[in-house]
Amino acid sequence: MNKLIIPTMLCLAFVAGAAQAETVVIVNKANPASRMFSEQAAQFFLGKSNMFTPVDQAEGSAIRAEFYHKVAEKDTAQVKAIWSKLVFTGKAVAPKEFASNAEIKKAVAADPKAIGYIDKAALDDSVKAILTLP
Amino acid sequence: MKRLILASAVLAACGAVHAGDVTVSGFGTMGVAKSDTDAAQFVRYNQAEGIGDHARIGLDTNLGLQASYAVDDRLSATVQVLSRKNTSPTFTTDLTWAFLKYKVSDELNVRVGRVALPIFMISDYQNVGYANTMMRPPVEMYAQAPIEAGDGIDFNYQHALGDTNLSAQGVLGVSRGKLFLVSTGSVATYRAPVHGISVSAEHGPLTVRAAWLGATMSSNDIAPINTLVATLGALGYGQLGQDITVASGKKVSFAALGATLDWNNLLVQTEYGQRRARDKVYIPDTNSWYAMLGYRIGKVVPYYSHAVAKGAGSSVTLPASFPASGALSAVVRGALTAPEQSSDTLGLRWDFAKSVDLKLQLDRVHPHVRNGMLIYGPATGLGSVTVAGATLDFVF
Repeated sequence: MNKLIIPTMLCLAFVAGAAQAETVVIVNKANPASRMFSEQAAQFFLGKSNMFTPVDQAEGSAIRAEFYHKVAEKDTAQVKAIWSKLVFTGKAVAPKEFASNAEIKKAVAADPKAIGYIDKAALDDSVKAILTLP
Repeated sequence: MKRLILASAVLAACGAVHAGDVTVSGFGTMGVAKSDTDAAQFVRYNQAEGIGDHARIGLDTNLGLQASYAVDDRLSATVQVLSRKNTSPTFTTDLTWAFLKYKVSDELNVRVGRVALPIFMISDYQNVGYANTMMRPPVEMYAQAPIEAGDGIDFNYQHALGDTNLSAQGVLGVSRGKLFLVSTGSVATYRAPVHGISVSAEHGPLTVRAAWLGATMSSNDIAPINTLVATLGALGYGQLGQDITVASGKKVSFAALGATLDWNNLLVQTEYGQRRARDKVYIPDTNSWYAMLGYRIGKVVPYYSHAVAKGAGSSVTLPASFPASGALSAVVRGALTAPEQSSDTLGLRWDFAKSVDLKLQLDRVHPHVRNGMLIYGPATGLGSVTVAGATLDFVF
């Protein structure tokens, strides 16, 4: 029985670990910011501040759902409704979406004002991490 | 209508389209609603045709398309068109906005062109069903100001003060539009120079907003009022006619105070507004308010709302010699009296798929003075009306 339970638990732990991979919030290397709180990051991704330009992961991706849950305790439908208000009142343009960590890194590396988020495992020195979300 | 559905299907299939620096996006609602009576028609404000005892799609169905072009990091151009049933019994398409936006700094931008007027809290996104919890803006409040957009200039300022986000919007322009006149079934055109300001503060889940807008309404084709003014003149009440008319341009103001709370799973949205005549004019003063309470359970938000519209007197004083009864007296006193109504709304929003929600809503509408905000009702004695509606709201 024990022999069965242990692999099962290991397997569950692995699945849980994979589902909750660490996410890092990244900015351009020229950005003077070095650290940020999750509440501050949420400001940019919810359209409340224009200081940085957010770039988003693909709609429907697991990392996107987790990110908004972690920084703002909102699900993606709530976030979409918030942006609909901003877009259709002409106050803001919704963040551009990219399909992968690599494309997000490329977009952030190319724009000094950009802010994005990727899997921690994909982090390299083309961008600067300013916040790690467990 | 077929063209509307086709266009919406094609665009929804394409999703938001990016071509170079042009972004095309849109929003829409497909709705169906009916009431429990043919004695009067339930409408959104300024609609020429409402719903009675048969299911109709015209009450809530709309489609908006928006295109933005970024010239550079600071300058962009945006146009938006909206198809819906408004002052005409058929679907019509209007240019709701067209503006150039210049980003002065990260905190300030200026827009020139046709912009939405920030009168009430959801005024500038009231047609975007997906951005709202409720199926439609409470008619008790939103009917008080049928002015939607203006041609002119506005500014948007945003500033973070610690954990509080402050924002301010100011607008100066001229609004032109149509007003549907129930008594004659006709449409009048108006012109109104407007100036207004709104300020809001957001702290965590709470947002508080205050706004004021002044308008100088003028219209020379409000047929029933023109007829009344001419009759009054012929009967020796010329001054009363001049007090009543809007042909010469009359000042009216709108003030509103609102708050929203999105705390854990609790949603609150409430607003209080006053319409006041600043010159002598037939348009009655009104007070209106609503309060909505919702609770999020996963993807589903059940909500309840109560809304009230009340008269707050008239800027016009009848001369002492004016008859207390009779046909003329009834018409004049009627024109100076605001329709009053309250309603109870029970609804459900379900975010069942990506960028689409389904709403079900029941409204129990109680007309208190005349037919309230319902149209084509009986002269007296309209009781409470129940309205049931279902909508699909989408954005792309």
